[in-house]
Amino acid sequence: MATAPLWQPEAVRPPEFVRRAFRDLPPNVRTVLLHARGDYAPWEAGYDAAPPSPGPGEVVGPPDFVGIGVQKAGTSWWYELVSEHPGVFDRPDLPKERHFLTRFCTEPFGPGDVEEFHRWFPRPHGSITGEWTPEYLAYPWVAPLLAQAAPDAKLLVLVRDPIDRFRSGSAFRLSMGAPDTSLTVADAVRQGVTARWLRWYLRFFPSDQVLVQQYEQCRADPEGQLAVTYDFLGLDPYRPADVRREVNVGARAKVEFDPAAEARLVDVYREDVSDLARLVPTLDLSLWPSFADHGVTR
Amino acid sequence: MTTLGGRLYAGLPTSVRRLVPVDLRSDLRARFAAWEPGDLGFEPAPPPVAPGEHPGPPDFLVLGPPESGARWWLSLIEDHPDVAPTRDPEGAAHALDRYCTEAFDDEQVARFHRRFPRRPGRIIGHWSSDGLSYPWIAPLLAVAAPRAKVLVLVRDPVDLVADRVVATAARRAPHPGSSLADAVDRGFVGAQVARLRELFPADAVRVLQYERCRADSTGALAATYRFLGVPVPDGPALPHPADGTTPAPAERLDAATRARLWAMYVDDTALLSELVPDLDLGRWPSSGSGA
Repeated sequence: MATAPLWQPEAVRPPEFVRRAFRDLPPNVRTVLLHARGDYAPWEAGYDAAPPSPGPGEVVGPPDFVGIGVQKAGTSWWYELVSEHPGVFDRPDLPKERHFLTRFCTEPFGPGDVEEFHRWFPRPHGSITGEWTPEYLAYPWVAPLLAQAAPDAKLLVLVRDPIDRFRSGSAFRLSMGAPDTSLTVADAVRQGVTARWLRWYLRFFPSDQVLVQQYEQCRADPEGQLAVTYDFLGLDPYRPADVRREVNVGARAKVEFDPAAEARLVDVYREDVSDLARLVPTLDLSLWPSFADHGVTR
Repeated sequence: MTTLGGRLYAGLPTSVRRLVPVDLRSDLRARFAAWEPGDLGFEPAPPPVAPGEHPGPPDFLVLGPPESGARWWLSLIEDHPDVAPTRDPEGAAHALDRYCTEAFDDEQVARFHRRFPRRPGRIIGHWSSDGLSYPWIAPLLAVAAPRAKVLVLVRDPVDLVADRVVATAARRAPHPGSSLADAVDRGFVGAQVARLRELFPADAVRVLQYERCRADSTGALAATYRFLGVPVPDGPALPHPADGTTPAPAERLDAATRARLWAMYVDDTALLSELVPDLDLGRWPSSGSGA
């Protein structure tokens, strides 16, 4: 059983020139080197899924909140802001994205697995804790597992214009060394489908346990939208410093579209966006010009 | 265009290429333009047009998720004397993958047609799994082959997922969640068939049930020939198919896991049953799993 995370960047901190040279390596070469020293990201096959040990004074249990979507919609930024609230406990050695439930798609999921899942959420008495795995929304097999393991968890979803999200998601995956394949493209398309999977999750969680916010509204009014999130989580009002900070912005290069291809992709999302607008009354479609300009309405 | 390095790399035995860390293989393929099916750069030259042949849009498409038997079914269809075999099935299957973000106009359509040379009086078609599952491809097929007859192979979606997980596990997917989501997504065939019905005339889309094709290959193939408009040949019944698919994965899934997965597909299967009234759900092990 692991007693410490695999990756402790502060524990062994090489000189700056070494770290700079490492950062300049092609992403997949970096990945191979990290894997050679047993260092895997939570979404990778080699990750050690054994839970951490609770620290002194910590208790374990189901997460109080779980962010389930969506990739490249500001979730790292929002999770950081949520975690800065004094009522929220975020142990610094644990990743924002636990990905624990992903691997149980075709595997049995029993009481022992539920208990192990809970051990990923240590917190002192009186604090709340959670995680944000943005792919969970598009992984439909996770919904019943999460409902089994954390039926009272509050779910957070940030949504973003699917075309912008596709551009950003594709660029991000490629910058991380993902192969330029149809599977990668299909994954980027899939992660932008929101209403369909939201309706699926709502079969397992009551609607008052799910908060959907719009990335573009969060960018325009982070203080106001953060207050909504805190209130939803039962937290007192709080104002973190520098709420407009940039977190995990990643690749600047965006995937460019042929205009006709973009229109075809709008067609792929048209029905889902329209349904999302019906499902989430606060969604402001005027902030998604790719769709508003193509006549998509509630 | 594949480089010399690419040809050398592609010529290495699989066992040698497997010595390359999995995370570096796509970099090497890109570096040497040694593209493989599924890579967006994969675009082999169309087969040469022999004297007396003419290229054109495919007359029929065989669409089906991986492990649905679609490729096997195409191979049986191509045994017919009036059907021209596709000379580069992988090139045809992945020909439209790259056009999610790229222009697809008359030039690309003509390039697609060049993949299907055939003699007068013969029909030709191709197999594709992505054409069914990846939502940007079917609209392109409807543009490039609007009069094609479309055969769709469907199978118990939970069996599809279970088989796909086994098949992809051997490739050590670096991001298993994406591979699982891809396998799960491909099982929502009801929605995919509904989309095809919007793109092609209703009578041009025919759904075949894999389990029925296995149980009565001769009868199902005769129905397929009639749908494609070629005469049903006289001859002995087909032998039991040796199609290369793995055995039914029932033993690999416990009942609770099967029921949990099947619950995802109940609504989609209901839609498929509406679209295909003769779908025999009794042949799907999951349909009785209690979800």
